[in-house]
Amino acid sequence: MAPYQLPSPLSSARGQSLLGCPLCGFTHAAVPLAQGQRATCVRCGTLLCARGRLGPHAPAAFALAGLLLAWPALSLPFITVAKFGNFRPTWLHTGAEGLWNGGMPVLGTWVLTCGILAPLLLLGLLAALLAGDTRGAPDLHRQLLRLARSLAHWAMPEVHLLAVLVAMIKLGALVDVFIGAGFWCYAAMSLMLVLAWRSFGFEPSVSTTDGRRDPAP
Amino acid sequence: MSPSADPDPRQFGRPLAFALAAAVMMVPANVLPVLRTRVMGEARTDTIFSGIVALWDDGLWGIAAIVFVASILIPVLKLLGIAWLLREARVHARLRARRDTRLYAILDFIGRWSMLDVFLVAFLAGAVQFGALASVEPRAGIVAFAAVVVLTVLATDSFQPHWLWPDAHPPASPGRPATAPSRS
Ligand SMILES: [Zn+2]
Repeated sequence: MAPYQLPSPLSSARGQSLLGCPLCGFTHAAVPLAQGQRATCVRCGTLLCARGRLGPHAPAAFALAGLLLAWPALSLPFITVAKFGNFRPTWLHTGAEGLWNGGMPVLGTWVLTCGILAPLLLLGLLAALLAGDTRGAPDLHRQLLRLARSLAHWAMPEVHLLAVLVAMIKLGALVDVFIGAGFWCYAAMSLMLVLAWRSFGFEPSVSTTDGRRDPAP
Repeated sequence: MSPSADPDPRQFGRPLAFALAAAVMMVPANVLPVLRTRVMGEARTDTIFSGIVALWDDGLWGIAAIVFVASILIPVLKLLGIAWLLREARVHARLRARRDTRLYAILDFIGRWSMLDVFLVAFLAGAVQFGALASVEPRAGIVAFAAVVVLTVLATDSFQPHWLWPDAHPPASPGRPATAPSRS
């Protein structure tokens, strides 16, 4: 997954739309893109814009699907571990709870934030930005975009998933491990978030009004 | 927003401060234990490195390699990379600007994967709670390690890659078209 940056339309000179490269800052004239095409910075090669093959409604569909998957991901058993016939089901939040119970409430909250809260809020924000058209209220739109970018730095469901997979293999020698439905829902939710964020940002139809960089979710 | 050709050296202070703080926190993160495991009354504590060695000794080479890359290689590479980029921005190494911008994009992308070890310890501490049979407890090293991850992310975030380039927005430039659209 390549890092994702939003291009920043700077201003309109004589009706011509300008795009600033989010990395090197070089200014470009906007070019019309057909589906499946992408435009890159002439100076540093950074991807500026790409029009997805799935059409303009794809980001909203991905975001809504991610939100729908969040409920089963949170409420269904995540991983069940067993030792000598003692079964212990765990939930998505069990890791954060383990740190809390281990006397590390701040780190527990941080893990909860990066693994659950930030991804959920980001999905909600994307859905709000895409489904409810906030471009009529530019200040609100700008604030929501800025919040989405800040959240995207710390929304790390894909890293969380890899860590759980590593933990399951590590635990294989110690206890028996069973994957629950909550795990698959969380994996699907993470995929929806990545797809929504990528297609959201690269769609040239999405207008932005400042030039901050964006992290990869 | 019109970054000048020569960025104010004082702007480098923030990424430098975050990177130095991360470098300092790497000492407790790697020296202190991150995990204590008890199985059938037998206890062992692991640092990040001894945990990787244990995975390797158990024959889980792939997993050991993943944890090594995420927990040791990436934080070190990020710190070295940020130090290099700050030097490049300071000496105005314009000829290498394109390559340095790619390096910045890579550093920006890889940083989040260091959180792997924090999620790993959290999951183990939450899931393995079988009383006297088997239990896992987090230890202070993991807090220091989480601080390293956050500080390195903040360091790359506060570094502005346009510092690597000459004047980013030439005055009165009508803008050049982006490269001819290509099929993705
Ligand atoms: Zn560029």
